[in-house]
Amino acid sequence: MSVPTRLEIIEKVKKDKRGVAAVFPIHYPRELFRAFGIHPIEVWGPPGVDTSLAMAHLQSYICSVVQSGLSFYLSGALDVVDIILVPHCCDSLQGLGSILKGFVKKDKPVFTLYIPRGKRNEDIEFLTKELKRLYENIAVFAGFKPTKDDLLDAVIKEEEADKLTLKAYEVHRKFKTNASEFYRLIRLREYLPLVEFETHVNEFMQKKHKPSDSVGVVFSGVLPEPMDIFRLVEESGGVVIDDDFASLRRRIYPLGESDDPFERMAQRILNAPPDAMKGSPFKDREKFLLDIVRNSSAQGVVFYNVKFCEPEKFYHPILKDSLKNAGIRSIVVEVDINEPLPQQVKTRIRAFIETLKRG
Amino acid sequence: MSVAQSLNYHIKFKLFGSQIVKWQANRAYRNFKEPKNRKSDILASPLKIGVKTKELITKHYLEGRYVNGVRPVAWVTSGAPVEILKALGFYILYPENHAALCGARRATLDISSEAENRGYSVDICSYARTDIGTMLSGKTPVGKLPKPDILLACTNICQTVLFWYRVLAKHYNVPLIVIDTPFLYDNAEPHQVEYVKNQLENSIETAERVAKKSLDFAKLKNVVKLSKEAAALWLEIMERGKNIPAPISVFDQFIHMALVVEKRGDAETVDFYAKMLAEIDERIEKGIGAVVNEKKRLLWDNLPIWHKLRFLSEFLAEHGVSVVASTYTNAWGELAPMIDVNNPIESLAKTYIHPILNRSAEYKLQVMEKMIDEYKLDGAILHSDRSCKPYSMGQVDERNRLVTQASKPALLLEADHSDPRSYADEQVKNRLNAFLEMLGV
Ligand code: SF4
Ligand code: SF4
Repeated sequence: MSVPTRLEIIEKVKKDKRGVAAVFPIHYPRELFRAFGIHPIEVWGPPGVDTSLAMAHLQSYICSVVQSGLSFYLSGALDVVDIILVPHCCDSLQGLGSILKGFVKKDKPVFTLYIPRGKRNEDIEFLTKELKRLYENIAVFAGFKPTKDDLLDAVIKEEEADKLTLKAYEVHRKFKTNASEFYRLIRLREYLPLVEFETHVNEFMQKKHKPSDSVGVVFSGVLPEPMDIFRLVEESGGVVIDDDFASLRRRIYPLGESDDPFERMAQRILNAPPDAMKGSPFKDREKFLLDIVRNSSAQGVVFYNVKFCEPEKFYHPILKDSLKNAGIRSIVVEVDINEPLPQQVKTRIRAFIETLKRG
Repeated sequence: MSVAQSLNYHIKFKLFGSQIVKWQANRAYRNFKEPKNRKSDILASPLKIGVKTKELITKHYLEGRYVNGVRPVAWVTSGAPVEILKALGFYILYPENHAALCGARRATLDISSEAENRGYSVDICSYARTDIGTMLSGKTPVGKLPKPDILLACTNICQTVLFWYRVLAKHYNVPLIVIDTPFLYDNAEPHQVEYVKNQLENSIETAERVAKKSLDFAKLKNVVKLSKEAAALWLEIMERGKNIPAPISVFDQFIHMALVVEKRGDAETVDFYAKMLAEIDERIEKGIGAVVNEKKRLLWDNLPIWHKLRFLSEFLAEHGVSVVASTYTNAWGELAPMIDVNNPIESLAKTYIHPILNRSAEYKLQVMEKMIDEYKLDGAILHSDRSCKPYSMGQVDERNRLVTQASKPALLLEADHSDPRSYADEQVKNRLNAFLEMLGV
């Protein structure tokens, strides 16, 4: 699969005289930016950045997602973008937003978006208003306001992409396709224009896949970095067959119901799969994870946690117990997205897959 | 309520326990003696009111031992809008205060290891680990905690509390009220305040159901009035620190703030702070400073290091350094003017969205600069608290700005508010010594 890099996409968008927004994790409506013709590019790390830059602003006990994101910003790599968006999804992202707005200002707007920690009526109502606020802010930058129809049209297109993504997951589950390739494909949505993303997914769907007899495992965590993990699992005779990653599965938003585009975006985000970053109740997360494991016939679960990520760490003990009660084996490993997979993690994953293979 | 529970409560708490504690406290207050091991050459005598602080806290935990089945019990986060529950007659427990107490009594390691053994990572806030440890094992230095009938978590201090209270809700199988307060990167916008107000209004039904009674708005107004009065008095007390020498230090404040957190909305808390203010004014009149030979005055940022209060207070006092003001204790008073007794729900929404912890790091820097100016401070210690990411993020820049913009020496001191494993004695001493040298003492 040959795909353009993030930088190439940015250059292309710029050449078309369109704006680019750099979006930090985790939840936001892509459709809102697209309705303005602004191209959102997500900043998940990226790994391999010189994190010493962030050390001038952050303590060592802050997670590597934030360390890398801030370093990336400070390195000048985001100077080409026009807008920065920092959704409020955890205390560390809150701090990142605060530092970007207050202490390392550059000549571009930094917008924030508070994601409410519930899905009650008042939460949806609030997020609807919060999205309108963001819309007004972007409009100042863009110099125009998309109409209600433009917005709804953008929402519906994203909904289509979500449906397509879910279908791709089904194919992957059924044939246990190569997880490195599959997840590279799904992650293209982090920065490719929608149509290009859909083209790649459709190509994947049309391919003839051969079923594999590898042992299926489900991964849970924030993001699949370092991505080498997929190869490691594969080499050990397993395959990451489905996931409960915040950056992936938990961001396949369901269809909204409202005719109001803002309310519909809010419904989509808040009614999406349960997530630590939305403070979801345990029972919702337990059910979602168990459903994923059962639907994919996975044999076990790997909690692939980022060091110092408090939100995920709160859920682990209870999720682990509920898997155990259901007779599903699990392990937890910790990674720094900026460092190669530690030997100890590799050894534990290999041993875990071996155990699963033995049944 | 069972007859046995009621009898137990009335006999063991009302009739005897609380009366004995009160009698002992009154006697100790009347015959106040300075503690024997006190370093009188460097520190002023402890405030006499400390006897009362101890009395009220002891009575509060003592009541907790017998209260289940007699009064409905709520566990709430420290910054939660507790007034509605108070007006409904709930006994209120603050797990953070309990965890702080465990920290001060050096029980954190033992109790939090109960949670760690069950898989709760050491990267989780040590308050949460401690209370989850208590929840799992029953271990507590206060004898016994009452079981909650309802939980109230407000995100105005951090998101940690939401996860933590979800753990509690699952374990105790009781309703959890969440009051989500959007973080204020800038000034509060109407839709943000309205969101908090809607949640407060909607929470009343659940609270009433658990309390088995309806909310009496006249009572609510009275509780709000008492909350405001206690917070306002607390603010006045802290502002007395502007006096030179400062009559109390933040180490005193850390102890005496327990009541404005734990018992705000009670009439006796207002009386308590009025007495405390009077005692402090007496000190000012007599020219007594908390540190005997006050040479330099500092600001403290972030939570205290509960397990090292005494060491830090004495170490600094030995050098004539008085830590006079803190962003942390200030947080419990600074919002008093926002409370409008005649408009309780809306003003609670406005007040509880505004704590310093729910505001940007840049705003916190402004508060620090203002305090440095108003309290005539010579520098600042910023406790970089490994457990509390929301308070600590931004401190590296804040420290740098204090040094460059306000031209004040500032020290970033890494530790943890409760977990002694994140505290290195020698390293802290070395860093403090270097800092004191910079201050010229
Ligand atoms: S890894 Fe965890 S702590 Fe870090 S930004 Fe993501 S959710 Fe927040
Ligand atoms: S210490 Fe910090 S992280 Fe822990 S409960 Fe308090 S505010 Fe939250």
